[in-house]
Amino acid sequence: MMDELANRQYPVKEHMVFQRRTWIVQRFGWVILAAICIAALAGLFGSGFLSSRTVEGVGMTVRYERFERATRRSLFSFHFTPGQSSERRLHLSRDFQDKFEIASIEPQPVRSVAGADGLDLTFAVAPSAATQVAIWARPHGYGSVAIEAHADGNPPSNLRVFIYP
Amino acid sequence: MDSVIKACIVYFVLWAIIRISGRRTLGEMSAFDFILFLIIGGSTQRAITGEDYSLTNALILVSTFVVIEIVLSLLDLRSPALRRVFEGTPTVLVENGQLMTYRLQRTRVTEDNILEAARRLHGLTRMEQIKFAILESTGKISIIPESDQPALNTAAR
Repeated sequence: MMDELANRQYPVKEHMVFQRRTWIVQRFGWVILAAICIAALAGLFGSGFLSSRTVEGVGMTVRYERFERATRRSLFSFHFTPGQSSERRLHLSRDFQDKFEIASIEPQPVRSVAGADGLDLTFAVAPSAATQVAIWARPHGYGSVAIEAHADGNPPSNLRVFIYP
Repeated sequence: MDSVIKACIVYFVLWAIIRISGRRTLGEMSAFDFILFLIIGGSTQRAITGEDYSLTNALILVSTFVVIEIVLSLLDLRSPALRRVFEGTPTVLVENGQLMTYRLQRTRVTEDNILEAARRLHGLTRMEQIKFAILESTGKISIIPESDQPALNTAAR
């Protein structure tokens, strides 16, 4: 029985200690790569059950992605609870403007005001109907962002987003 | 600035992934492996360039990659230990016609792979005709025939 773990000097100079370490590191690497795939399927890097968030706030419910990726367009959807007014106001804090570039807003706001503390959007709605506003936006930069979203001046819903580079 | 950093990150992540995947995947590239590498290239390319398709960015990226290559090759020259880490080491897989099963299993090379290399490189058909089979650090299999069975190299035929 030959010793497969011994170094050969001929025909090539081997380094079996290093080689065996490489094999061990490789196997660890396979586990890490598989873990990345599984985490991605679960939504750790956006779009999946780990990422989808629904926040029930005062006056509205917000659906968004907890994990975002830089430059990837994603949806924030705001569901207003039915009210008497024919106008609904949505206020998004400054962090939203800083970290996201708005690609489209559906329906178009009748008024859009950029103030010192963020973005104020006013939508025309049919009274006593549930209204949905969709904002498509692209994050840039990376890291954690906490966005405050107010419906009609009510206390804010906190949207926590992590942006991957 | 961020182009240089992105290029460095992509270089080392890709290097790590290719090293993790093992030499077996690299050397004997099938048609499908080739397509796979094109896809890997395509998916990383967009991450590096982003929305910046400028000539300046392309020049920055190409310069960064070439500089990394040069620096690594200079480091390789100075330190054999680093060379092992970056390039790997050759491993003998067949010794005097005997398959080294533990090594084959670790490197994910099969007996058929070795016989194929023996046929292709030296026109050998049996394991006993092989004195040494070596998996090189490039991922290719080299064959050294038994000396009493002179190699029928393709040029002689």
